[in-house]
Amino acid sequence: MRFNLEGLTVYFPYEYIYPEQYRYMLELKRALDARGHCLLEMPTGTGKTITLLSLITSYQLAHKEVGKLIYCTRTVPEMEKVLAELAELIEYRAKYLGRGPGSNEILALGLSSRKNLCIHPRVAEEGSRESVDAGCRRLTASWVRERAAERVSRGTTEGGEEGGSSGGAVGEIELCDYFEGHERAGVEALLPPGVYTLSDLRDFGRKHGWCPYFLARHMMAFANVVVYNYQYMIDPKVSQMVSRELEKECVVVFDEAHNIDNVCIEALSVNLRKQTLEAAGRNLGKLSNSIRRAREADAARLQAEYNRLVAGLIAQGALRGGEDWLANPALPADVVQETVPGNIRRAEHFMGFLHRFLAFLRDKMASPVVTSQSPQVFLHELQERVQVDAKTLKFCYDRLSSLLKTLEITNTDEFTPIQLVADFATLVGTYAKGFAIIMEPYDERLPQVPDPVLQLSCLDASLAMKPVFSKFQSVVITSGTLSPIDLYPRILNFNPVAIQSFQMTLTRDCLCPVVVTRGADQMPMSTKFEMRGDPGVMRNYGRLLVDLSAVVPDGIVAFFVSYRYMDQIIAKWHDMGILQEIMQHKLIFIETQDVVETTLALDNFRRACDSGRGAVFLSVARGKVAEGIDFDRHYGRAVVMFGVPYQYTLSRILRARLEYLRETFQIKEADYLAFDAVRQAAQCVGRVIRSKADYGMMIFADKRYQRHDKRDKLPQWITRHLKEAHMNLSTDMMVHVAREFLRAMAQPYDRGAVGKSLLSEAALAALDAAGGLDGAGAAGA
Amino acid sequence: MSRAASAQDLRPNRLACILGLCRSFIREFFDQNPLSQLGIAIMRNGLVEKLTDLSGSPEAQVAKLDAGKLGSPAGDASLQNALDLSVSLLRSLPPYGHRELLVVFSALATCDPGNVLDSAKACKANNIRVSVVGVAAEVYVCRRITEETGGTYGVALNETHLEQLLLAHSSPPPATSAQAKAELVRMGFPQRSTEEASSAVFVGLEARLLSGNYTCPRCKARVPELPCECHICGLTLISSPHLARSYHHLFPVPPYHEDSKERAEEAAGVLIRQPAMRDEVPTSTGSYCFGCLREVSQPGAAGQLHLTLRCGRCKQVFCFECDAYVHEQLHNCPGCEFGGT
Repeated sequence: MRFNLEGLTVYFPYEYIYPEQYRYMLELKRALDARGHCLLEMPTGTGKTITLLSLITSYQLAHKEVGKLIYCTRTVPEMEKVLAELAELIEYRAKYLGRGPGSNEILALGLSSRKNLCIHPRVAEEGSRESVDAGCRRLTASWVRERAAERVSRGTTEGGEEGGSSGGAVGEIELCDYFEGHERAGVEALLPPGVYTLSDLRDFGRKHGWCPYFLARHMMAFANVVVYNYQYMIDPKVSQMVSRELEKECVVVFDEAHNIDNVCIEALSVNLRKQTLEAAGRNLGKLSNSIRRAREADAARLQAEYNRLVAGLIAQGALRGGEDWLANPALPADVVQETVPGNIRRAEHFMGFLHRFLAFLRDKMASPVVTSQSPQVFLHELQERVQVDAKTLKFCYDRLSSLLKTLEITNTDEFTPIQLVADFATLVGTYAKGFAIIMEPYDERLPQVPDPVLQLSCLDASLAMKPVFSKFQSVVITSGTLSPIDLYPRILNFNPVAIQSFQMTLTRDCLCPVVVTRGADQMPMSTKFEMRGDPGVMRNYGRLLVDLSAVVPDGIVAFFVSYRYMDQIIAKWHDMGILQEIMQHKLIFIETQDVVETTLALDNFRRACDSGRGAVFLSVARGKVAEGIDFDRHYGRAVVMFGVPYQYTLSRILRARLEYLRETFQIKEADYLAFDAVRQAAQCVGRVIRSKADYGMMIFADKRYQRHDKRDKLPQWITRHLKEAHMNLSTDMMVHVAREFLRAMAQPYDRGAVGKSLLSEAALAALDAAGGLDGAGAAGA
Repeated sequence: MSRAASAQDLRPNRLACILGLCRSFIREFFDQNPLSQLGIAIMRNGLVEKLTDLSGSPEAQVAKLDAGKLGSPAGDASLQNALDLSVSLLRSLPPYGHRELLVVFSALATCDPGNVLDSAKACKANNIRVSVVGVAAEVYVCRRITEETGGTYGVALNETHLEQLLLAHSSPPPATSAQAKAELVRMGFPQRSTEEASSAVFVGLEARLLSGNYTCPRCKARVPELPCECHICGLTLISSPHLARSYHHLFPVPPYHEDSKERAEEAAGVLIRQPAMRDEVPTSTGSYCFGCLREVSQPGAAGQLHLTLRCGRCKQVFCFECDAYVHEQLHNCPGCEFGGT
């Protein structure tokens, strides 16, 4: 339908709209009008994505000055989903706006790594992302192409004299046909308007003989909607190459952004293991060799590099070919625009410098005790021990990338370790605040096995987000679970113009959250550290699952607080015979840390649910399954959260981060921990509801959920359904509640409850005339 | 009869409750569909046991459904086995009949040897309509099977709701076009002999000495009750009300309309033109009910409620009591039966 939203014509591809979608649009539009950032929470299953897309594209249509819509998703499947919904929207819009040139057609595309886009028959077969990247560079690096071009021209001239003998030599330098095709087409290589998913791009590339990856990168400048991964926006290394040229007026959307602070932190953190350092040492040896060889063969090249560095031409454009790899890991604003200091300008000197730095790191790693240092202390020590100063460190990364390019190295995947070390060096050199350097000689859980890790951990999520907030006019952060919503502006350090949490209007109570605090024997249940090992608690948890599997049909998902606890409790359950009892009702599948195994388990879990056998999936909060897998419809009729999924509070990194949060943002440790735990729990239980027609039980099995500081951090759309009578239950009462709930939900239900939870075009027009749905409410707030 | 049937959320427990309701369902079923046949099977221990063969006699079936004789519930339920059994039983039936399977499912899972959906496909291929009445919660596979085969799926909230759901299945669903293939079936309409004790003869297969009995019009064998198949010549023996009761779902009596002055005048014109049928059958003039011959009020009389109804086809007048009787029990309009059209 097409309706008027405070003067903006919105094209919405469905006949009816939920009231919360309307409110969401209203809030979003006001934020866009105010040219500010906003933070919006709306439960999953209410069509958040289509609402966003529909409003922003309509806004683009009405306000030409608004730039692209940059839609950031977490995973490739999510990306495909967004593009599919967009395609539907565009299809619908075409009815009103017509087709053909001049009718405001939209170009939308998904951008992903080469691994997902490559169509070169051999390179695309490579296993990892790095090896595909390296394989691509081997075929497309500028010097490789130059050399091939030289060969070809020489081949044709020589071929005339010697007669075809050099034909094989030309063939030795392999190039990528698709890349060449794209290069030949040059600026002519354009995508016609439309919506392109990754596979569409690949098909298009195959048809035209153009490389889809470079085509997509090229077309980003012309696209109205770009969908890509978080990293492309947040990780400075990637966003440097991909997102640098986006204009300020763009609207940036982070979907499913409840973990955005962790993504930010990961983007700026570096972990070095012993193996990494060893491999980096080997890399250095290789580099030294190639420097020596280059010195013998073509000293001029190294000299040219040296001259360039002296002249301060470090900027990307000045380098040959402007290859798009090895971007600086620090944020653009913090990258110093100075010439590289003299002591590392010569390649040999730089090698020496790296050797010393590496030796220092190795030395640090040999320490048998856990240490935690601030960057300043670390730098001071570095200065004293090996005479490396902070300024030099800052340039480490740029210098390395310059060297690698000069040496014309294409198999970059082999040099990842040394790049990591250089990453580390540059970040330490650049940031004095907001980081910690933590050295752990062994894993906490296995103290007898030495496994030293040197971590440069970013403590401040706002660092990585800052450039995004300052560069772009409107940033939209949205998710199904952003509660407590006022904490996000604090940890990300920004001022949103709109903060809003929306509720789901339901025609029936299809959520049934319950808090179970006691077992059938009235003993309290909790995963508190002192209680979790208690056999009584474990048995009660086991009984809960047994009883539940007897009354809940099809799929049940259970989340534990950690892999360790899950292993422990499953072993205990096996001894107690609880697993066998569950098996009488349902099959059991377990998530493991192995991705392949887990995928297989999930697959079989689904099959068991489909065929009516019923199954239980045991999983871990914060695991892959808790984050990305939906257990909608019959795959999840009940979800159990065993315990409160606190982070491992003894972890040094977390300690350092908590301290930093307290000092910088005045967030109390307990508050942050509870917030983080409850958002994980909400994320886990939210897996079962994926649409309004769906229904599911949500069981919080820990006595601590009874307390207000936990409960009020749950998203509103859950707490609203949490009845007083459903709190502080024991297992047997819970079973009773479950039985009643499932019976009630199995009754036929009227999908077309128009009026209460759906608004038609006419209803919207009436609303608009009356001054908006929540005009009074918004004015009051 | 899986393990789940021993749960006590229905009083006294699920099994007893279900058995009781099944007995009333069977009676109701034969009452509504005297021509139909029904067999019972139970799912237990992952197997399916055939309790009774398809037959048309309610009492024999009801007698089998006794908790004491059945044993206790145990093991898992297997829908696939149940579906396979019903396919093998119902496949041989003539195509003009409805083939239906009603599953009363108390378990929440089905433990199958293969893929249950394959069996569901087999059911669909054989035009078997599978309906499920659950007592615990919605099970996906049941929903799927019922949707595929065109059946219904209900989950009972409590005992009364369960009864409603079960009894809703006693009347047949509207005929589908796939089953509309007409075929002539030979049937006999036997006469009932007098019930005087002196005329008692040996009747039926068991040769019991009974007074009231029916004589097969083809072979003159005597059978004790209708409907049945003649034990001598195999002819289906029924009576007209049976047929009507069975087919009223297919050919319902058109509803009577409230009588008004205009309708009465129109009807009078029609009735006058008709030749008098027989002297002893009076045509109702509007003041007497055609069914019970009691006096009813004149339509259109000032100040009076219109308490009479008129059949749209034969234009006869009926009172409310007769209307209810005709439509809910008799399923034949007496006016139309007398050729009043």
